[in-house]
This record gives sequence, C-alpha cells and structure tokens, in this order.
Amino acid sequence: MSQAQGEIYDLGYQHYEGPRGGRLQAVTSLWINSLRTILGIGRGGRAKILPALMSLVVIAPPAVFLVMSAVAPFAPPASHADFFEAISLLLLLFAAIIAPELLIPDRRNGVTTLYLVRPLTTIDYVLARLSAFLAVVLVLTLLAQILVLTANLLLAEAAWDYLRENWLDIPRFILAGAIITLFVTTIPLAVAAFTERRAYAAAFVIAAFVITTPMSAILTTEWCDNDVIYVVRDGEVAREFGPEQCGRITGDYAKWFTLLDVGRSPTHLGDLLFDDDSQDDAAALVAELPLAVPVSWYSLLVAVPTVLLVWRYRRLQL
Amino acid sequence: MTEVAVGQPLLEAHNLTKHYGQTIALHEVDMHVREGITGLLGPNGAGKSTAMKLFLGLLQPTSGSATVLGEKPYENVAVRSRLGYMPEHDCLPDFTTASEFLSHMAQVSGIPAKQARTRAADMLRHVGLDEERYRHIKEYSTGMKQRVKLAQALVHDPVMVLLDEPTAGLDPGGREEMLELVRRTGKDFGINIMLSSHLMGDVESTCDRIIVIEGGTIVEQGDVSEFTQESETFHIEVDDRRDEVIAALSRKNIKATISGVSLVVVLHRDEQLDDIRDALVETGARLRRLAPSRGQLSDIFRREAG
Repeated sequence: MSQAQGEIYDLGYQHYEGPRGGRLQAVTSLWINSLRTILGIGRGGRAKILPALMSLVVIAPPAVFLVMSAVAPFAPPASHADFFEAISLLLLLFAAIIAPELLIPDRRNGVTTLYLVRPLTTIDYVLARLSAFLAVVLVLTLLAQILVLTANLLLAEAAWDYLRENWLDIPRFILAGAIITLFVTTIPLAVAAFTERRAYAAAFVIAAFVITTPMSAILTTEWCDNDVIYVVRDGEVAREFGPEQCGRITGDYAKWFTLLDVGRSPTHLGDLLFDDDSQDDAAALVAELPLAVPVSWYSLLVAVPTVLLVWRYRRLQL
Repeated sequence: MTEVAVGQPLLEAHNLTKHYGQTIALHEVDMHVREGITGLLGPNGAGKSTAMKLFLGLLQPTSGSATVLGEKPYENVAVRSRLGYMPEHDCLPDFTTASEFLSHMAQVSGIPAKQARTRAADMLRHVGLDEERYRHIKEYSTGMKQRVKLAQALVHDPVMVLLDEPTAGLDPGGREEMLELVRRTGKDFGINIMLSSHLMGDVESTCDRIIVIEGGTIVEQGDVSEFTQESETFHIEVDDRRDEVIAALSRKNIKATISGVSLVVVLHRDEQLDDIRDALVETGARLRRLAPSRGQLSDIFRREAG
C-alpha cells in the first residue's frame, strides 16, 4: 500500500512585496467597478435586466431600420435628430433608475468610508462614478447613431456621395450624443447624492421631467372660449381645434416658457445642431431664441447638478 | 512606496485640534505612535474616532497637524495606500461576496488585479472565512462581518492598521476571537495597530502601549506594563479566622483592610512577608491566596476622577 507523499505547509501571513499603483489605479478600479454596477455584471439576474432591456430598446429601432433599408432600399433616409428625439426619454428613464445604484448603496452601507481611506479623494470618487456612467450612456447613444448612419449609407444610391454630402452629421451626432449623455447622467446622479432611498431618487427625476413637460405645454398653449374651431380649406375641414385648445402661443413669452420643459433641453440643442426646427412647435419656438439662450440654459442644467454633486460629497459626514 | 524610516513615528499628532462647530472634539493633542499595538482608550465621545479619522485624512484638522509615516494624509492621499482602517460602523456591501469585495478593495489600494485576488483569498483564510468566501456578505453573522471588516483593512498589507472599536456588537466568545485575531495581526503578521476601545479589558489584553484620551485631551500615555506593574500592595485570602489574622498582623505593626474576600496590606520592607507568614501560623488560618496586587487600567480612570 502506497503512502501519501504530499505535505501541506501553512506559510502563515505573507507580506506583499509586488508593485503598488497609486491614485490612478484607485480611480481605474472604481471606474471598472462602476461599469460592472451599471451593467449588472457579477450581480444577480435582476440587475442585468434593465441594462439589457435598455440596450435593446435603444439599439433595436435603428437596427430594424438598418434591416429594412436593406430590404426596401427606396425608403427615405432617417434623420439623426429624429433618433435623438426618440431615445432621449428612454435614456433618461434608464439613467434615473441606474444612477441611484451607483451612489446610494455605498453611502447607506458605509462603503464610501472604505473608499475614502484609500488613495482616493472625494472628487476622484465622484468623477470615477460619473465618467463610467457617461461612458455607458454615450456608447449606447452613439451605437444607435452609427446604425442610423450605416442604414442611410446602404440606402443611398452612392454611399460615397452620401458621405461626402452629409459628413458633418458625424461630428454633429457625436456632439449631440455628448450633450444628451451629460444631461441624462448628471441630474440623476446629483439627485441620488441627496437621498438614501433608490426608489425616491428615481421617482423624483422621472416626476421632475414628467411634470415640466405639461407645465411648459400649458404655458405655451393659447386657451380660448370657442367651442370648436374648424379650419376649412377647399370645402373640407383641414384642421379642428378642441373646445379648449386654440393653438400655440407665439411670441416672446412662449419662446421662454418652452425652455421650462427641461427634459427637452438637450434635444432642442440637438435640433439646432442638425439645423432641424421641423420637429414640432416647441422646437420651432426655441429656434427663434438667440442661440446663447438654449445653450446657457442647457449648461446651467448640467453645471448646477454637477456642482451640487461634488459639494454634497465634499461635505459628506464619514 | 512609503517606507518607515528607522525611529520615525508611524503616527504623529502635534497640537492637533478638531472642532465641530462649537463642539471641541480634540484639543491640542500631542501623541506619537511607534511600532507595535497601541490602544487608544477612552469613554464614548472622548475623541478616539475623531483622532483616527484625522490620521486617515477623512477629516481636516481645525489646527495643528496629524501625520502618517511623515505625510499629511489629508493632503497626500498616496500615503493612505499603506494604511488600513476598520470602522466601528457597518461598512460592507450586501450583494457582493467577501472574496470579490476584498479583491476590489485591494485593487483600489493599488494592488494589481491578479495579486489582489490571491491576497483576498489569503486574508479570508487568515480571518477564518475560507469556506464562506463565496457567500454574499448579507448572509454573514455579526462576527463574520467583523472579520470581513478586519480582512479588508489588511488585504493590501498596510504598514499600520487603525481599528475602531473592533469588538463592538460581539458576544463574549466573538469578542475573545476578535482580540486574538488582533493579537495575531500585530505579533504574527507584524502589522502595526492602533486600536480604539472604551473597554479596558480589550486594551489591557491586547496592547503594548496605551494612550488614554478623555474629553478630547490626552490624559496619560505609556506602556501597558507601566500601568499594570506590581505594586507593594498584597492581597491575602484565608478560608477562616480572618479577624484573628487582622489582629495578629496588627500586633506586628501591619495594617490590614478588608476588600471583598481579601485582606489588603501595604508592605514597606521585604521582612514583613515573614511577619505575614508568622501571623498565619499563629492563628492557624488556612491560606487560600497570597499575591502582590497588580495595577488595573481602571485605576487610571479612578485617579482621574479623584
């Protein structure tokens, strides 16, 4: 009978003698951790549902359009601005739900303290979380636009000619993507910095955007006492206004009130970038304002939450 | 990489003051912490946690300075990669395995990913959580969570680890196990420790050196042996004839007082031990114990209160 030959030695505690990274590695590790949190990697199935669904919802329409363009090559090309309009609300919903996951559990469980006793400053912590969030949303946004561009190239009789004539769309959709991404990430993160409940943070952001849309619509809509107005053209009713709504107010007030619909602030800039004021009345009204106004309004909507986010973390009681 | 120069204090406070609004948490504190296990002893609200947070760079001093390995951690965050911290409060994520959490924390402290995974496994083995390392932390008991908290503080092999009330919330068995782990960390792993506690027993049984803090100021500091060294006081315990022993001692000019089950005598000469022996023989009392008294850390508080 043979005897066992191996022996197990307990080497005891071993000191670490290898290389050590500094602050950059700390930020990188946190950035990767944030990416995993956003995408639900290393977590249960439920955490993966939302990012998977979101990717599908954002990429599916341009992907379907891409397939259709191959099948029906005579369809008109799609507008990049249209797709921004379509996905901006979805991105906002996604961001409103995911942002609390990035900040609230760390604070509630006390893990933030463990990060900040390592080679990280509060600014590093916030920037790592924010930049990872920005990266994911930007990739989703740009992926959708690249699919739209690909479809348009396939639809074009001469792809090269199409590209030569529309090459400006590429920097435009990159810039418009960055504009939407910054907007939909900073506001929900700032809100998440001020509450301990994830559901409250998500609900607050969604409610804020849902409320401002009808607010703006009410303030830019003309109300009249007439019962019903029929616009008759060539003997037929061309347009019918309901008993309350007469139409859009035009003029200076309406232009400014349109800005109250904060959720549309980035798409207004997108429309201006693509020189597309044909979206609807609101887009047309904003286009009448001096360019500096919607740009400043958007900048304020992004800058204030960012400053609040950093301020909150710098004053965090650990 | 920050290394410790010979003779350099690991932690040093000079006129360290911290105010929270009108509340003075620390007032002009001077302290030097060198190698070994140092206990920061004081009642709740004495300023122990504030002192630790100042050394970790989580707080900025109102005035004075707190340095770690010669660096100010609030200004130079790189030095924090050589520090470990186990907070008193909860600090663990729920939906992560201990193994994954420790590996991540090691990486944030600067250890490359592959080595971080190895060190996470090693540390969990050292704290006795080898078998449970792939379970979600939310499934752990309080004692197991305390071990994970200690493991995350050690996973990056710090020069010094600061443990804030490491036995908080533990039952007597868990408390003794945690103190044993702390002793092993200091003696076997060679990691320097500052341990804060309001429990004198924890500090007395674990630390080499003590800093007593109360009301935001340092009351006393020194080696544990200085506080608990043998005194000239002896305790005599007899099974019977206690009054006769007191009388016999009195005849030999030794004053005995009753303290619980013991007679306490203060000796001035070694020969008086012979007088005690003779008194016991004369009375025929059965001796249970004769031992010099050791100072207790609780005496420090009694002295301060007096």
